[in-house]
Amino acid sequence: MNWLGWLHDFFADPAHRSGPDSVVHRVLEHLAFSAEALGLAVLVALPLGLLIGYSGRGLFVVTALAGVARALPTLGLVTLAVLLAGVGDAAVLLPLTALAAPPVLVAAAEGVRGTDPDVRDAARGIGLTHPQTLLRVCVPAAAPTLLAGLRTASVQVIATATVAAYVGLGGLGRYVIDGLATRNYPTTVGGALLVVLLAVAVQLLFALLIRLAAPPGTRTRARRAGRTGRTEEPVPVDDPASPPALVKETP
Amino acid sequence: MIRFEGAAKRHPDGTVAVRGLDLDVPAGRTTVLVGPSGCGKTTILRMVNRMVVPTAGRVLLDGADVASLPAARLRRGIGYVIQQAGLFPHRRVIDNVATVPRLLGWDRKRARARAAELLELVGLPPETARRYPAQLSGGQQQRVGVARALAADPPVLLMDEPFSAVDPLVRAGLQEELLRLQAELGKTVLFVTHDIEEAVRLGDRVVVLREHGEIAQLADPHTLLTAPADAGVAAFLGRDRGLRGLGLRPAGAVPLAALRPSYDAWELVLDQEGRPEHWRRGGERHPAPVFAPDRDSLRSALDAALLAPSGHAVAVDAEGRAVGTASRAAVVEALAAAGPVPGQVPHAGR
Repeated sequence: MNWLGWLHDFFADPAHRSGPDSVVHRVLEHLAFSAEALGLAVLVALPLGLLIGYSGRGLFVVTALAGVARALPTLGLVTLAVLLAGVGDAAVLLPLTALAAPPVLVAAAEGVRGTDPDVRDAARGIGLTHPQTLLRVCVPAAAPTLLAGLRTASVQVIATATVAAYVGLGGLGRYVIDGLATRNYPTTVGGALLVVLLAVAVQLLFALLIRLAAPPGTRTRARRAGRTGRTEEPVPVDDPASPPALVKETP
Repeated sequence: MIRFEGAAKRHPDGTVAVRGLDLDVPAGRTTVLVGPSGCGKTTILRMVNRMVVPTAGRVLLDGADVASLPAARLRRGIGYVIQQAGLFPHRRVIDNVATVPRLLGWDRKRARARAAELLELVGLPPETARRYPAQLSGGQQQRVGVARALAADPPVLLMDEPFSAVDPLVRAGLQEELLRLQAELGKTVLFVTHDIEEAVRLGDRVVVLREHGEIAQLADPHTLLTAPADAGVAAFLGRDRGLRGLGLRPAGAVPLAALRPSYDAWELVLDQEGRPEHWRRGGERHPAPVFAPDRDSLRSALDAALLAPSGHAVAVDAEGRAVGTASRAAVVEALAAAGPVPGQVPHAGR
């Protein structure tokens, strides 16, 4: 039997159409885990990252975490969490949060730090307080970087949330792990495909958000820079809703 | 009025930015700090709005130590313009300009109405309001920066090399605009530049600084150009001081002659409204350089006379109509008669 046949079997299975083992239910479970983990990560890492980026203190933490994030053995963490906390939500949420937090922290810190120093200087100089400068000037300026960090985190979390099934919880990992355990390859392949599709869909959603977060005019500049070979924000799409640039570039 | 009393800034690493400055910046006038890079001029400017805190001495604003107010509140009462404009890229132009009024608690509608007024005041078309900073040219961004600084109508305006990053033509336009604004608003302006031409053009008073914020000379532009305090200042002022000084004298002193049918075989051709078109001799045509006696400087008049093939500069009124001519000899006569010019004089013409 080939791939397509397996996939057909997977989606044709009535158990995958409705009930607790249905595709919709498993996808929702998967998303719920992932969103919870991402939410926790944001709750912890975002304020810390913003403060580190704004104050410039503790940047070494960011540098260190940027490397650690990729080397994190999630499966090992899950096992450890199960040993420490027993089987349950926490055993999955904690490792996933630990996985999602570093990219969010790094992005928040880098994004805020990357705010144009002149813009920051002007903000302070015309009378914004530090919290106002951070929240009204630096955070919007950091938004594209921040969203890119969230995108990285969310994709990693969605991919890794598959391990939730390993400790007996739901989500798309159920298909993969149960399928492997029972040598039911259609189920494994179907589950894997769904994980990939989900990750791609979330990627696309973030790509759209990132595009919307860049202020009009800067996108035009990015395109111009791209043509001359300089590297800048890789969002070379014009927003049709934005008013036309006042200064036309000459071809 | 801004008063510096022994204001000094020493960095933690021991380097001295400003050794100890005593300076009065009079209200309602433009005072320009000029000097080579690293002379401490920006540090001095930033002491006024506490972007830099002096390590010794103090800065008084209308008699009150600037350290006595919370920094943010102090700054909302002081206009601040910097070199790269520093506009908020994610906010529309109108909301950039409305920033300080909003911080002061104005409601959005009133703040935006005020911002729209300001945009008009600095010569930006109304449709600019809805755009984002990155959609404007450098010169336009700088105008928005000035509008933002003026939005809450602060009595004091600090300008840190605001026109240095734009090309010379745009810079000249912005300088012209600032002179017009200042004539209208009468703010206490403290302006920092490294460009002596700009200093002489914009300043009622020019403070030439050397290292560590020491004052090499404090004078009105004319005195500065004609009587530099020492060789160092003279070198900083550069060549052609005398000639450039003419740019500070009004052309009104030039005696005008009535228009004549011909000037040594040259004939001045006017259009239907009486505006000069060109000089003609036989089939030969040359542009006719003009000056406006009520607006331009002696330097413009001399320049026009030197460039005219007939040797006669054409004087024009506000509508550009020829009202008379001045020969090179007449201009030189006015030069000879002109003593030191006290008080306000027109600035260098186009």
